[in-house]
Amino acid sequence: MNFGSNIIMVLQRYGHLFLKGTLITLAFSAVAVTGGVIFGGILALMRLSEFHITIKGKKIKPLSIISTAYVEVIRGTPILLQLYVFYFFIPSALSFLNLSKFASISLALIFNSAAYVAEIFRSGIDAVDHGQMEAARCLGLSRNQALMKIVLPQAIKNILPALCNEFVAMIKETSLASTFFAGDIMTTYKTVNGALFLVIEPLIIIAVIYFALTFTLSKVVAVFERRMKTSD
Amino acid sequence: MTNGDILIKVEGLHKKFTINGHEELHVLKGIDQEIRKGEVVTIIGPSGGGKSTFLRCLNLLEEPDEGKIFFEGVDITDKKVNINEHRQKMGMVFQHFNIFSNLKVGENITMAPVLLKKKTKEEAEKLCDELLERVGLLDKKNEYPSRLSGGQRQRLAIVRALAMEPDVMLFDEPTSALDPEMVGEVLQVIKDLVNTGMTCLIVTHEMGFAKEVSHRVLFIDDGIIAEEGTPQQIFNDPKNPRTKEFLSKVLY
Repeated sequence: MNFGSNIIMVLQRYGHLFLKGTLITLAFSAVAVTGGVIFGGILALMRLSEFHITIKGKKIKPLSIISTAYVEVIRGTPILLQLYVFYFFIPSALSFLNLSKFASISLALIFNSAAYVAEIFRSGIDAVDHGQMEAARCLGLSRNQALMKIVLPQAIKNILPALCNEFVAMIKETSLASTFFAGDIMTTYKTVNGALFLVIEPLIIIAVIYFALTFTLSKVVAVFERRMKTSD
Repeated sequence: MTNGDILIKVEGLHKKFTINGHEELHVLKGIDQEIRKGEVVTIIGPSGGGKSTFLRCLNLLEEPDEGKIFFEGVDITDKKVNINEHRQKMGMVFQHFNIFSNLKVGENITMAPVLLKKKTKEEAEKLCDELLERVGLLDKKNEYPSRLSGGQRQRLAIVRALAMEPDVMLFDEPTSALDPEMVGEVLQVIKDLVNTGMTCLIVTHEMGFAKEVSHRVLFIDDGIIAEEGTPQQIFNDPKNPRTKEFLSKVLY
C-alpha cells in the first residue's frame, strides 16, 4: 500500500467530484445561513416583541413564547433528525410544491440555522448596555426608534462575528446531508469509496478540504473581529 | 426664585419591584409632591431608600403601581397619553452617562432633535455648537465618545438632554460614577444651568452642592419623603431623627 500514490490517483480520477462537492457544501452553508439570517431575524424580533395579552391579570407575550419554543425545540433535537423530517415528511406532505432534493435539504438547514441565528441576534442585542436604550427613550424616542438608531448599530458588532462562526459551523453540519447523497463533499467521499473500495485516502482528502475551509474562514473572522474592536 | 406655576405634581406614588418572580420589594410607599417652575430640588437620603426610583418614575422609566403624575397639567400615568411626547420635555442625566457609543459627540446631541423633527439639521447643528462651546467640548465634536473622560462624558450627557430644550432636568446621581477630580467640572455645569432658571431635580450625595444650589431639599428614606425643607432647615436644623442620623453619617 502506498498512501501517497493512492491519494494522487484518487485526485486525478475524481478531482472534479471533490471540487463539485466542495462547491455544493459551500452552497448549502451559504443558503442555510442566508435563509437563517432572514428567518432568525424574524424569530428574534418576535422574541423581543412587547406585544402582549392579559389573561387573569398575567401578562402573556404570545410571539415571544412561540419564538422561544421554536428555538428550544430546534436546538434540543439532532440536526440529522430534522433532515429526516424535511427529506421524507415535508415533500410528501406538501407534494404540490415539488421540492427537489437540494431544496428540501436546504430548507432543513435553514430552519435549523434560524434557531441558532435567532439566539445570536438576541444575545447580541442583550449585550448592549441597557442604559443606551433608557437614554434614548428619555430623549423621547419610541422603542423602535431607539432600537434602530442606537441599540442595533451597537449590537451588529457582537452579531457579525458570531454569524460568521455560524457559517463555519454550518460547513461541518452539511456533511450530514450526505445521508441522502445530497452531492456535498461527504457524498463525494461515499461515491469514491464505493468505486475504489478505498477508505483512508478519500477521507484524508475531504478532511483536508473541510479543515482548509473552516480554518481559513475562522482566521478571516478573527481579523474582522479585531478590526471591529479597534473602531470602538 | 420660583414663579409659582406647578410643573410636576405627584399624588400617592407607590412602586413595587418583584425579585426572583415572587418576592416583592415595596420601594415607594406613597409620595406626594409638587415641583414648581424654576425650582431646584435636591433629593438626598440613604442608598436603597427610593430616591432614584422616585426620579425614574417622573418620566415613567419605572411605571408606578399606584398614584398619579401630572406633568404640565397632563396625567402622564394615563395609558392613553403618548409618553414619548412628554419625555421630550423632560431631560434626564444618568449616573453612568449613557452616551451613545455608536454616535460621534456632535451626533449624540443632534440625533434626537432632528429625528423627532424638533429642529432642522442646520438648526440642530447650530445649537449643538453652542452647547458644546458652553461645556468646553467643541473641539471634540467629530470624535467618538470612547475617547472622552468621565467628566467630559457627563458634560456631554447634560447638553445632549438640553438640546431637546426641556422644561425640566432630572439628574440621577450625576457625579457618583466620576473620579473625584472630575466632580467639580460637572457640578459647575449644573450650577450654570441652575443659574439660567431651569427647573432641576437632582438626586445627589454631594451635600455641599445640595446646600448651595437648591431651593428645597427632600430627604427620602424607606420609600417616603421623611423630611423636606429649605437647605438651612434640613442641613442646620433637621427635625426627623432619621434625617439627623443620615446627616451625621455623611457630614463629617
